[in-house]
Amino acid sequence: MGFLRKASKTLKQSNYVSLLFNFNPLSSRITHERFSITRALFCTQSRQNYTKEKAIIDLSQYPPELVRNFSIIAHVDHGKSTLADRLLELTGTIKKGLGQPQYLDKLQVERERGITVKAQTATMFYKNIINGDDFKDGKESSNYLLNLIDTPGHVDFSYEVSRSLAACQGVLLVVDAAQGVQAQTVANFYLAFESNLAIIPVINKIDQPTADPDRVKGQLKSMFDLDPSDALLTSAKTGVGLEHVLPAVIERIPPPPGKSESSLRMLLLDSYFDEYRGVICHVAVVDGALRKGDKISSAATGKSYEAMDIGIMHPELTPTGILFTGQVGYVITGMRTTKEARIGDTIYHTKSTVDVEPLPGFKAAKHMVFSGLFPADGSDFEALSHAIEKLTCNDASVSVTKETSTALGLGFRCGFLGLLHMDVFHQRLEQEYGAHIISTVPTVPYIYEYSDGSKLEVQNPAALPSNPKQRVVACWEPTVIATIVMPSEYVGPVITLLSERRGEQLEYSFIDSQRVFMKYRLPLREIVIDFYNELKSITSGYASFDYEDSDYQPSDLVKLDILLNGQAVDAMATIVHNSKSYRVGRELVEKLKKVIDRQMFEIIIQAAIGSKIIARETVTAMRKNVLAKCYGGDITRKKKLLEKQKEGKKRMKRVGSVDVPQEAFHELLKVS
Amino acid sequence: MLKSTFTPIFCALAPKPKPSTRVITNTFSNSTSTVRQNSSLKNNPTITPSSAYIHLPFCRKRCHYCDFPIVALGSASTQTHDDPRVINYIQWLCREINATKIEDELDSAKTPLKTVFFGGGTPSLVPPSMVGTVLETLKMKFGVSESAEISMEMDPGTFDYKKMEEMMLLGVNRVSLGVQAFQEKLLKSCGRAHGLEEVHEAIDIVKKCGVENWSIDLIASLPHQTSEMWEESLRLAIEARPTHVSVYDLQIEQGTKFGRLYSPGEFPLPSETQSADFYTMASRMLRDANYSHYEISSYCKSGYECRHNFTYWKYKPFYAFGLGSTSFIGGLRFSRPRKVNEYMKFVENLENGSVNSSIDDNINSKDKALDVVMLSLRTARGLDLKHFQESFGSSLVLSLVEVYKPYVESGHVVFLDEQRRAVRIDDINNSLLDETDLERRVAYMRLSDPNGFLLSNELIALAFGVIDSWKDYPSALQEAT
Repeated sequence: MGFLRKASKTLKQSNYVSLLFNFNPLSSRITHERFSITRALFCTQSRQNYTKEKAIIDLSQYPPELVRNFSIIAHVDHGKSTLADRLLELTGTIKKGLGQPQYLDKLQVERERGITVKAQTATMFYKNIINGDDFKDGKESSNYLLNLIDTPGHVDFSYEVSRSLAACQGVLLVVDAAQGVQAQTVANFYLAFESNLAIIPVINKIDQPTADPDRVKGQLKSMFDLDPSDALLTSAKTGVGLEHVLPAVIERIPPPPGKSESSLRMLLLDSYFDEYRGVICHVAVVDGALRKGDKISSAATGKSYEAMDIGIMHPELTPTGILFTGQVGYVITGMRTTKEARIGDTIYHTKSTVDVEPLPGFKAAKHMVFSGLFPADGSDFEALSHAIEKLTCNDASVSVTKETSTALGLGFRCGFLGLLHMDVFHQRLEQEYGAHIISTVPTVPYIYEYSDGSKLEVQNPAALPSNPKQRVVACWEPTVIATIVMPSEYVGPVITLLSERRGEQLEYSFIDSQRVFMKYRLPLREIVIDFYNELKSITSGYASFDYEDSDYQPSDLVKLDILLNGQAVDAMATIVHNSKSYRVGRELVEKLKKVIDRQMFEIIIQAAIGSKIIARETVTAMRKNVLAKCYGGDITRKKKLLEKQKEGKKRMKRVGSVDVPQEAFHELLKVS
Repeated sequence: MLKSTFTPIFCALAPKPKPSTRVITNTFSNSTSTVRQNSSLKNNPTITPSSAYIHLPFCRKRCHYCDFPIVALGSASTQTHDDPRVINYIQWLCREINATKIEDELDSAKTPLKTVFFGGGTPSLVPPSMVGTVLETLKMKFGVSESAEISMEMDPGTFDYKKMEEMMLLGVNRVSLGVQAFQEKLLKSCGRAHGLEEVHEAIDIVKKCGVENWSIDLIASLPHQTSEMWEESLRLAIEARPTHVSVYDLQIEQGTKFGRLYSPGEFPLPSETQSADFYTMASRMLRDANYSHYEISSYCKSGYECRHNFTYWKYKPFYAFGLGSTSFIGGLRFSRPRKVNEYMKFVENLENGSVNSSIDDNINSKDKALDVVMLSLRTARGLDLKHFQESFGSSLVLSLVEVYKPYVESGHVVFLDEQRRAVRIDDINNSLLDETDLERRVAYMRLSDPNGFLLSNELIALAFGVIDSWKDYPSALQEAT
């Protein structure tokens, strides 16, 4: 075991290990060399402590039958992150009260929104004591290695979710005891169900006064055919029932099925970029084992690397030098960017190329929502460019191409997996990089077919010719299958909303006497703008909504141009359904009239389809602004006023001779 | 007499700058100096001021629109010779004048004042004897030129023949009469201390006393003012045959009674359109009556421009004395305290040398360029582009021309040649390709009357934008060497 004595990890971690040692019967599994806890607990910089000798975890003690890989899936706010925190505390992986809540949600945006964007894993050690006895019915209590693979809960990341779930054999399906089954519960259940995973229903938050676990059990039975007696009742907040969770994981979830003797195959779950260490990949070893120094290759890119550092997330990077079949951990290979680390990729030993069959399910990221991002102040282009480059280092799923707009100058056209992904990206740009941006109205990728048989995928409405040379013979738009769960009294207004959004009902059923479940096909475009907010407002926040990508459908689409004094504003062009074009055109023009200030000349705002004007408003010319009064020699106040006026102008975007305030672009986002 | 010294309009005004030795040393030590640098606006603020503003803050009561630093004495106060507040103030004022450092102490020859302006407040409330004391103090300190323009703001109801004559004997030779409106109802509703009868009396007194150079001040866009009333005010003002008319536009200031009662553009204030129409009407009626619209809010018969005000608009230095007044000396605008107690403290500090109101080492070219543009575009003469280019370089002039070009077409801005003939936009476009050609063709830029003047804030802010993004101004000054 000499190789295991190599130093590792932070003193903070060593302290976790010591805690583990104190109240977990794990001591025999941990080799600790002169367990010198110098109580330098504040020192968390792992790089500083490489030379410190400390406890090494021997993973060879955990053959697949002692490993469980599982995930927690839940509707937003049903307590997934709190439950994860409790499990990490229960196993001594993090110390209770130390560290911040929602341990696995590391990004500010994740904490603020209560969502998970990046997949995270944490390895826990747990001794399963059967009925308080080490030996009973011939079964020995054993030490288990449990990998909690935290997945993004949102549909935008459904591909990541499916890859994360591919590394699991079971899930904890967490449902709020008061709110019951929600749209995301349904979507997540089916993802797990279709992946043939063991499902452990956990009814959480039973401490709430409005908790009604029996009703939720009934819903689980009627919706998912889950046996009510299988449900665990917990309160992650108070700790009630938590002691049953990990035993259930060990008993009900099968061990990973991989073959130890086969050659190495590992699944790449996620990756992130560390400024000091480069790209860090999260991997699940499906077959075989990975040792430090191994030469490995990617099935997707064909590139080869050396496994320079290997370990587990316990919960921070903890080097182990090896990962065995069924285990989940990290590997550092010297990859330059996360773009090389394709989620779902299969990694194998370079020398065994011929034998290896890639794991199923790998797909390239599919961008469903596009928008232009421009610096709010034209001169900040370099700063924005830098910020986007940095951010995409950590989020390779965003596609970025340069875009030039006559109205907004130099910027980027970015493709996102979905709405939330786009929102999160914007928010991270502002929060983590202080970038001030103008984003154009998000659009979905349409497909246009012309009379000469050519097809065009349109990711930017401005790029679509307003008066094409070839006749358009058909266009298609992407659709989604939406799941909506709501109290039955809101069915009327919700159906009205859905039909306004060109929805087609596919399914309508009752979850129980009070809650309705509906499935609709909707054009993606219709939910991109302000759909969720409107749904929430007409249902007082009681409806839940989720969707999955579906196929392209033929549609009657037109390009709507906005003209200011006769000049089309590229950044304001949109593609809309013909039936809505007049309404949208009128709304856009009215909105713009409200936000564009009067200027020294008249401004004509028009909406046009091709050469046909469908809406028009006029902003009359300004006749007079504050004139001079008798201010004698004191011109400082006047100067301040003019300076302020100048600053106001600077924030404007110039289209031809018209000054357009940035708010105009924000306002346009609100017109569906 | 004034008339003859004043044609053509501007040339007599600007004394050739006489750079002090100190400044020359500085310039030489920084870089190889050029003739242009020494003669440019850069050194202008260091010319010794030849104008003085005197603030006499007393009023009978505060008008509802007024946010000036004033001292209200009470409506009954028409006689103020024994009011201790006035006596005291005049003493402090004279102390301030005496304590002020003269800029060119090295220069043995004093620069006598060429303009003195008594503003307020209501200067005509102050007894002539005290005005005499102030003038005497100024004469002792700086000297006052024989032909100096000495203006005084006077309000109807605060002076009679005797007082007017006494003021004239002291040397006051220009009167700015605060009429504001010719409607009893409007005078009352804006809180003036006088009625219409006093207005007619005052005009009568000024004319009978033979004040040659006098102005009627009017305010446009008062609450409840109709276009009929405004037309009547203009007509009656013209019929009184003053040599000068000032038309101020009512501004609603925070902290005034009007500020609490009204918001701009809303009833009972006229709408933006009505207000613009009022301005246009004044411009038309006064022009038809042979007044020239020589500044955004000033009209005069030929040769009767207010020389004192031109000090401001031509970026010349000037002294200022008294409560809340602002001086401009050595490139620094310095505002005195607006409260009497603080003002007295300031004068004490000035006397014991712990405050200096005139030195500023950090005059930055950007600020200067802003001031010059902002002040000169108020005038019909406009911005002298040659002079401007000499001071700030041709790249800035080119950017200004570029920015204002669209507004020539929209009728807000006029470019003029050396002979003050309008230059056609096509000629400007052609000239832009060739710098020297542009210089040859275009000498001035001005705002049009009335449309450009009406949007002066908007238009001047454009220049602010250009100057703000003007990056190479330090090198601009060297470029021509």
